[in-house]
Amino acid sequence: MQRVKVYRLNDDGKWDDQGTGHVTVDYLERSEELGLFVFDEEDNETILLHRISSDDIYRKQEDTIISWRDPEYATELALSFQETSGCSYIWDNICNVQRNMHFNTLNSEAFRSVNSELSELPAVELSTLPLILKTVVESGIADQMRLSELLLNDQDFFRKLMEIFRVCEDLENIDGLHMIFKIVKGIILLNSPQIFERIFGDEYIMDIIGALEYDPEVPHCQNYRKFLKEHVIFKEVIPIKDPLVLSKIHQTYRVGYLKDVVLARVLDEATVANLNSIIHSNNAIVVSLLKDDNTFIQELFARLNSPTTSPESKKKLVYFLHEFCTLSKSLQMVQQLRLFRDLMNEGVFDIITDVLQSQDKKLVLTGTDILIHFLNQDPALLRTYVVRQEGITLLGLLVKGMITDFGDDMHCQFLEILRSLLDSCTLSGAQRDTIVDIFYEKHLGQLIEVITASCPSENVDHGSSNSVDPGRRDQYQMEIKPEILSNICDLLCFCVLHHPYRIKCNFLPNNVIDKILLLTQRRERYLVVGAVRFIRTILSRHDEHLVNHFVRNNLLKPIVDVFVANGNRYNLLNSAVLELFEYIRKENLKLLLKYIVDSFWDQLEKFEYLVSIQSMKVKYEQCLDNGGTKGPANVLDSRRRIDERALEKEEEDYFNEDSDEEDTASASVSRNQKEQQEQPSLSNGVAASYTQTSRRSGGLVDYDDDEDDEDYKPPPRKQAEVSEEEQMTRESLGLKRLSSKDREPDLVKKQKLSKNPKSKDSVFAAICSTLSQAVLPAKKTAINRHTNTPTAEGRMSSSGDSQEKAPDASRSCSDDNNTTAEENHVEKETAASRKASDPLHGSSDNRQLDGEECPLVPRKSSPEMTVNGS
Amino acid sequence: MSDLDRQIEQLKKCEPLKESEVKALCLKAMEILVEESNVQRVDAPVTICGDIHGQFYDMKELFKVGGDCPKTNYLFLGDFVDRGFYSVETFLLLLALKVSYILLLQMLIQKIGNVRYPDRITLIRGNHESRQITQVYGFYDECLRKYGSVNVWRYCTDIFDYLSLSALIENKIFSVHGGLSPAISTLDQIRTIDRKQEVPHDGAMCDLLWSDPEDIVDGWGLSPRGAGFLFGGSVVTSFNHSNNIDYICRAHQLVMEGYKWMFGNQIVTVWSAPNYCYRCGNVAAILELDENLNKQFRVFDAAPQESRGAPAKKPPPDYFL
Repeated sequence: MQRVKVYRLNDDGKWDDQGTGHVTVDYLERSEELGLFVFDEEDNETILLHRISSDDIYRKQEDTIISWRDPEYATELALSFQETSGCSYIWDNICNVQRNMHFNTLNSEAFRSVNSELSELPAVELSTLPLILKTVVESGIADQMRLSELLLNDQDFFRKLMEIFRVCEDLENIDGLHMIFKIVKGIILLNSPQIFERIFGDEYIMDIIGALEYDPEVPHCQNYRKFLKEHVIFKEVIPIKDPLVLSKIHQTYRVGYLKDVVLARVLDEATVANLNSIIHSNNAIVVSLLKDDNTFIQELFARLNSPTTSPESKKKLVYFLHEFCTLSKSLQMVQQLRLFRDLMNEGVFDIITDVLQSQDKKLVLTGTDILIHFLNQDPALLRTYVVRQEGITLLGLLVKGMITDFGDDMHCQFLEILRSLLDSCTLSGAQRDTIVDIFYEKHLGQLIEVITASCPSENVDHGSSNSVDPGRRDQYQMEIKPEILSNICDLLCFCVLHHPYRIKCNFLPNNVIDKILLLTQRRERYLVVGAVRFIRTILSRHDEHLVNHFVRNNLLKPIVDVFVANGNRYNLLNSAVLELFEYIRKENLKLLLKYIVDSFWDQLEKFEYLVSIQSMKVKYEQCLDNGGTKGPANVLDSRRRIDERALEKEEEDYFNEDSDEEDTASASVSRNQKEQQEQPSLSNGVAASYTQTSRRSGGLVDYDDDEDDEDYKPPPRKQAEVSEEEQMTRESLGLKRLSSKDREPDLVKKQKLSKNPKSKDSVFAAICSTLSQAVLPAKKTAINRHTNTPTAEGRMSSSGDSQEKAPDASRSCSDDNNTTAEENHVEKETAASRKASDPLHGSSDNRQLDGEECPLVPRKSSPEMTVNGS
Repeated sequence: MSDLDRQIEQLKKCEPLKESEVKALCLKAMEILVEESNVQRVDAPVTICGDIHGQFYDMKELFKVGGDCPKTNYLFLGDFVDRGFYSVETFLLLLALKVSYILLLQMLIQKIGNVRYPDRITLIRGNHESRQITQVYGFYDECLRKYGSVNVWRYCTDIFDYLSLSALIENKIFSVHGGLSPAISTLDQIRTIDRKQEVPHDGAMCDLLWSDPEDIVDGWGLSPRGAGFLFGGSVVTSFNHSNNIDYICRAHQLVMEGYKWMFGNQIVTVWSAPNYCYRCGNVAAILELDENLNKQFRVFDAAPQESRGAPAKKPPPDYFL
């Protein structure tokens, strides 16, 4: 307890000593109010009892005195403390009590009505405007709430105020108008939803907006009302009969106009939020009333569908539909969903299909925006439509839209919609497969053709000029905007991640990778980088079959070429290619490592100052060195690879069947040419024999089963397999945990193989960085899963394929051919590898096993090789 | 006056560009940014700025304090968007300033020949320059609100993928948004990041944008942010030593005083969003380095309320509903 002396100022202006005692802060008797008590230190008598006031009457002096003018004693009182700490303790207490009282003031209705000075509004007259203005502008927070209350209780206030406004305007009483402006602005800033409801009603809103035209800080009066009445057009495409709906529609626009134009510089965030919520709830009411009006919706679609509706009004109807869908976001989720379903049943997608064929690009984009609304709401709706017979056109139009030049307009919607349709993570079984089927069958080629047609043609096969005549190609090259190519590249990367198996089936036989690599010849560096990224995405698939394909077709050459041409520039291209090399090294993709160093070292040598290039070489040499000593592991390795190959064979059969004659033929011609050009520059014999063998093996095969492929559709059985495979891919991306007993043995083998489990971690990091959008599980399991994926894939796909292919006589025949070629090929290759004492390639064991375990299975029967000679 | 100059004037008034203008600007920016390196070299004198977070009017204060671009050479350490009300205008203004300067340079180079002109405004990527993060913290919604579709968001986030990851000033000061990564011990290791991607959940690129220095951590510690790491003084010492740099300059963390040194002047945090989120009550700072790398921090306050009014929007000429 703090020891104090109590003083009281007497009438003579002197301080009387009232005694010495201890001071406390405590509740006054039978009250929730707090007071200061001083009890005499000797007889414990109460020397002082003072109710702490919320008013600012207390003064602290010289750190030991607190004084105030006491209303009850009607004089000055003072406490003189013995200790400064005691003084500041009591001072803090007083301040806290005051703070709490202020806070309570805000919350307690009763307190306010008693204490607030504002008990009624002045009468609304021209002469009282200054008083009203003072009341509105100068009220504190407590008074503002009171003011809102009074304004709402006074039924005549706004009517009278607006009358005075009109009088002032008639009389051009500028002072009055300026005051009314400030009053109205002040009232809006009270931010009371109830007041908004009243002043934004049909009765007052135009006058309110009118009053806001007279801002004293703006030299001349604004013409808001004129704009609203004369310039803005309310387009009533379908007559709206409900007056409530009409009134809400107009109100929404006007409130939006107030918010965004009239008061844009004035409003605080809280007021903006309240105005937005008015707009939001209005939208909900309007859409909800209209959607429940059957005749309205029916009439809308009747007019949209009617052949007699003029194109101009059809356009307006589509814009209306778009706005209708946009505003429906204000509805509750369930209602929204129901609305979109109803619209779908009314045939909205047929209408969009129609719209997307329009010449008017703005209209087309509006159509896609409507589709985006549907996808955001429930992607299944559009998917259901697209898989139907009549929906096929729409998918085609979307692909076409993506590769169409929209000039200055953004048209990323197309890519977005296609992605959503092709997304393997959210699609469900049958629907997904059908859409994916149609896309790959009909549209993938279209996209690829845009790339081939718009890239410099020096290295492009002559063959393709069969399908695209030179004139048209030049035209393309002029017309295709780089951003379209970039979008295509993005979509292809997306496809690699989402339908890895599909991609393989379609890419390998059609030389699609080759064609995408044409992007490396583009001037725009971001397209070159896009191509590198595409390759990197494919390699992240960890698919040995694809790796073989890369090596066999010298697919990294364009990448190395652009890297070398880029020179010492440290830019994104430089980083992307180095990252690719790092990935290959860290993932221990020996075949690629060997291929790169063997084929390109003379080009890469000058970059040896870069750590990545240097370590790649080191790794390569380690691989060569380890070749002799690491016998058992190699056997295991090759055995495993043979297993995989046996399974891959089935996959390959599938590819072969699917190949497109023209494309394949043309592309392979170009490869031959390329190879011929490259051969002299090859750095060592191993690489040379590579090329040679592949060419020779090609030459030996006469492959003739292409003709039946045009209309080939994979039978349903296979689709099931595909989806399962994709499922697994997804799991390998870490979306779901998989516990398959089958995989265990592989896992063990793999772990034995990996010399350094730690490096796997970093590998995983690299993978993750590419598959960044996937959610990542615990690292260990993910790694194991990932390393196993390729094997699992092979098995999955083969079981289905073999059953289908068995009855096909012509196929087994060509397989025979293949086998011959392949055995030849293997022999050559083996020889080559032996020469280089290379552990990466098949040994004689390998070949033997090849023969024993799967006599019909060619080791590498890729269609492009087989067509080489044709 | 070129289109771009006009657009810059418009953006300086905090008026957003049209979709078609954003598209053209972004495509141009893409061509420029693809040529930048993961560790962008920056010459002194330069003024380093931390997080901006869409606080457009406060960024205008920043330019008042630091001087106009390109008169002053600027390095922005990322986090241009989210939280504040004007992410679109903020990011596009910085991007437009950069593009217009580079175009001017290219014109000069064509006329005068291939002299090395340094860039005058360098933008590196922050953890908020990401699709995922912007969908949560405001940029996505802002684009949707201001344009009625998310196309602008899509273009901008595509540009984010091209932004450089770090900068090196006169070989002596390493600048990055977040901090260090256990996967990166030399600057050269940053080279092999293919930065054109969404910010990953882990790995070197993620750490550079997410990590924080922390006094009580020895070595590396788990970050409470859920991405990146905490790193202690010893990590910074050895990084600075092995890369022969004087100190690290980073942003990413709110500091009430605008800047903060740690670990005996081995790393400094610079924060350039005053009164962060319009309520934190902090001051902001920028770090000015002269040609001899002498340091001067310039501390500044939030822009006064009256200069913050949003510009009036153009009302739509018609309405159906």
